[in-house]
Amino acid sequence: MLVESPNAAAVSNAYGFYSISAVAGRYTMVVSFSGYASDSIAVDLKKDTTLSITLEAGVRQLQEAVVTAGRNNNVSRPLMGVQKLSINEIKDVPVIFGEKDILKTLQLLPGVQSAGDGNSGFFVRGGNTDQNLILLDEATVYNPSHLLGFFSTFNSDAIKDVTLYKGATPAEYGGRLSSVLDVKMNDGNNKEYHASGGIGLISSRLNIEGPIEKDKSSFIVSARRTYADVFLKLSKDTSTNQNSLYFYDINAKANLRLSDRDHLYFSGYFGKDNLSFGNTFGIDYGNATGTIRWNHIFNSRLFSNTSLIYSKYNYDITINSGNNNIGITSYIQDLHFKEDMQYYANASNKINFGIDVIDHTTSPGVISATETSSFNPLALQNKHALESAVYFSHDLSLFRRININYGLRATDFAVMGPGDFYTYDKEGNAVDTAVYAGGKVVKNYFNLEPRFSASYKFNNSNSVKVAYTRTTQNLHLLSNSTSANPTDVWIPSSNNVRPEIGDQVSVGYYRNFSDNKYEFSSEVYYRNMQNQIDYKNGAQLIANENVESQVVFGKGRSYGWELFFKKKYGKFNGWVSYTLARTERQFSEINQGSWFPANQDRTHNLSIVGIWKAGKKWTLSADFTYYSGNAVTWPSGKYEVNGQVAFLYANRNTYRMPAYHRLDVGATLQGKKTKKFDSNWNFSIYNLYGRENPYSITFEQDPDNPAKTRALQYALFRWVPSITYNFKF
Amino acid sequence: MTGVVWLCSCKKEVHLDLDNAGEHIVIEGSVTDAAGPYTVTINRSVDFYADNSYPPVSGAAVRIVDNEGHSDSLIEASPGVYTTTTLQGKPGVTYTLSVQVQDTLYTAVSTMPFPVALDSITFRKAGAFGNKNIRVVPHYQDPPGIKNYYLFNEYINGLLETKDIFVFDDRLSDGKYITRDLRTQDDVMHEGDAVEVQMYCIDEPIFNYFNELDGSGSRGGAFNTAASPANPGSNISNDALGYFSAHTIRARKAIVHIE
Repeated sequence: MLVESPNAAAVSNAYGFYSISAVAGRYTMVVSFSGYASDSIAVDLKKDTTLSITLEAGVRQLQEAVVTAGRNNNVSRPLMGVQKLSINEIKDVPVIFGEKDILKTLQLLPGVQSAGDGNSGFFVRGGNTDQNLILLDEATVYNPSHLLGFFSTFNSDAIKDVTLYKGATPAEYGGRLSSVLDVKMNDGNNKEYHASGGIGLISSRLNIEGPIEKDKSSFIVSARRTYADVFLKLSKDTSTNQNSLYFYDINAKANLRLSDRDHLYFSGYFGKDNLSFGNTFGIDYGNATGTIRWNHIFNSRLFSNTSLIYSKYNYDITINSGNNNIGITSYIQDLHFKEDMQYYANASNKINFGIDVIDHTTSPGVISATETSSFNPLALQNKHALESAVYFSHDLSLFRRININYGLRATDFAVMGPGDFYTYDKEGNAVDTAVYAGGKVVKNYFNLEPRFSASYKFNNSNSVKVAYTRTTQNLHLLSNSTSANPTDVWIPSSNNVRPEIGDQVSVGYYRNFSDNKYEFSSEVYYRNMQNQIDYKNGAQLIANENVESQVVFGKGRSYGWELFFKKKYGKFNGWVSYTLARTERQFSEINQGSWFPANQDRTHNLSIVGIWKAGKKWTLSADFTYYSGNAVTWPSGKYEVNGQVAFLYANRNTYRMPAYHRLDVGATLQGKKTKKFDSNWNFSIYNLYGRENPYSITFEQDPDNPAKTRALQYALFRWVPSITYNFKF
Repeated sequence: MTGVVWLCSCKKEVHLDLDNAGEHIVIEGSVTDAAGPYTVTINRSVDFYADNSYPPVSGAAVRIVDNEGHSDSLIEASPGVYTTTTLQGKPGVTYTLSVQVQDTLYTAVSTMPFPVALDSITFRKAGAFGNKNIRVVPHYQDPPGIKNYYLFNEYINGLLETKDIFVFDDRLSDGKYITRDLRTQDDVMHEGDAVEVQMYCIDEPIFNYFNELDGSGSRGGAFNTAASPANPGSNISNDALGYFSAHTIRARKAIVHIE
């Protein structure tokens, strides 16, 4: 939210708190927020005044809204590499299965890459998927996807907006190397009750919100469930109709205004995926988060935010094969306390400081097995760690042209007992074991993370910015497959695993045109990464007490150039984004120690999004995506072992997948809108021209001609049509 | 779900521009506790798009010695195939293979583990999404307190099943009575087929070799691909491909029948 009076402007924080200093007098205040209608408020200022303002949601008003100076946010703020999307902005962009999805729309922005066709996983500026800090109302979401990555955990009905920081993150965030995705849930309507929902081919949604006490407090509950399994149940085949495949998730939030100075928020998320094949194999997995947040306004300049946060991700596998009955469970759990203070010293100085304490517990695996099973029951030791940080940052304006944000985050990661801590030799054999009691510190990693960004404004529509950021990461995801896997293991830093450290430098030029109707930006970045993790060939990652002996450590670097051009308002809007990038890794064990392209290295990334409001009834939209192929490892020959064809591999990632491109189209038909009822139909076709984009390429002995081998390409989605009916009353 | 249905219809053969890494030497040799002679084969790798026939390497000097003072110089029985003359494999003994090809000497060491009895084999139907295939289930008692590594070969009507690799270690099964089926991806076995299962007790480097070989291949399907496949770590020196294994063999035969 941006508040502006003729002489001063202020950007509110995420909770809507803002502070403007001005001499007594009459002012007109213009309030605007992306995706919402702007509002002008007359203020007669005599003493310190608190003004609460609610903006009307709505795209219709957006077309008519008067262009205000506040829209050049992009040019004047010192922060760079920031992308903000509100749900209203993305609702017309066509996506697969017609399920609007903030993570898939994010992938159309510069510097953000999709982890695969139809996948909600993403890479930011060459970072791995686990190097994104994904927050839902401040709670870490460890697995942001449903159904092998095809849906994100974020139900768009429950989401207000998302902000993505591509590396140059403010000091209040920490814990991941490449980005922070800050997702805020809707607060609910505190004026009247509403229900809304959607019925689609794959899933349905329902959302209820309303006041608890009018104008003071509100609640919102959003739920959705997929029902592909209902169709499986219809099958006459007994082995098919016993299979299940679904997910559901629930978001709930309550927002209580205790007084003019105190707000209390409760928000929670619970999601579950269930996949099972008859009674032989089943897995369920999901995230649960809970946040209690107390906002307190000490005075017109000082604002505090105290949060207690819970987050857990777990999976549970059951296998019944003959008399081999086993279960495998694993979880990662956080208890998090956060205190954040914001001090608005005056119009050109703002100070932000706070502390962050997270207690991490991971249970890497517990195996239960019956007496007749071929497997032994086993409980791997839980791992404990205490991650603490203090931070401070200062926003200041100099000579009206220069804006600076500098800060420092000091992080301490304490690896805690109880537990056995192993030392490994070069072959990965445990050579020494140290036993620690509960509460004892095994290892401490202390890191200072300076953050700096600055902008220089040539005039109201032109600026340049520079930024330097250091980030560290103490939780690492071990993944050995190409697709998002619910059983991927998170391991904390330990006596063997050191924190990942990232340093990023970026420079950008920003330009707005035609009274800020058009926005252009160009950024270049270079990031250096230390202590990057890869696993050894044939690594045993599941239920392995010595999992740390299965990994190797190396370096990473990524650099690129991002171009973004956006038309923000009008009957026709949309954007073009292009990224030229390179991401490399270096491990002494791989490719003779030379630099090689990372799996997610893609040279060219282009996205074009267009949304056209064709009239009162129809909104038409299209998006086009092109990217060059990822780096892959393919055979460079073959030989025979034990009567089987084996493939000969030369160096890692020397080949490239074929280029990917796709056009999606969508149309929204607005139903008759009355005061009481609003509805629309949404139609879309994903991959309109049906290109077979390779999801993977595999190699095998040709079954038709055993004297030959062949390469097979798998494509997932061609012409995926969807229809969704949305309503609101 | 829709994606899964779509998946099956979008599989096609593609021709890729693959490099030729050149001819690499491939050595595959074993010593077992069954009666000799034992074989060491030496040949060379070929280009991906060449036929699956591999040029043999003739004229190599091949020798196996054990840690009990026996030494056997192998004779070339046919091009690239070398056989022992006097050696008799014995559990607990360490064998050293040396292969001299022109100027390069390749060596490998393997210790034969003690045998584990294969009690019987049975059959069961298993699989997901209605694809229920018949699989064979070996029954055996894993000895407690020691690390054991197993490799299985499955012969159906006398032919070795070559689509899958079956290796198993007792990391999570020490001391258990094991009845874990050999997981064939495809429908390879039918009622009435004559099936023989050979169970090898192998040493740890050989288990790692086959486990890595299994992980680096494409085990069928779009999702089952390793992110970064690589050649398995061989126990043979000088970057030779292949392996040298000293192992025990136990076998059982049965006719496929599902109750």
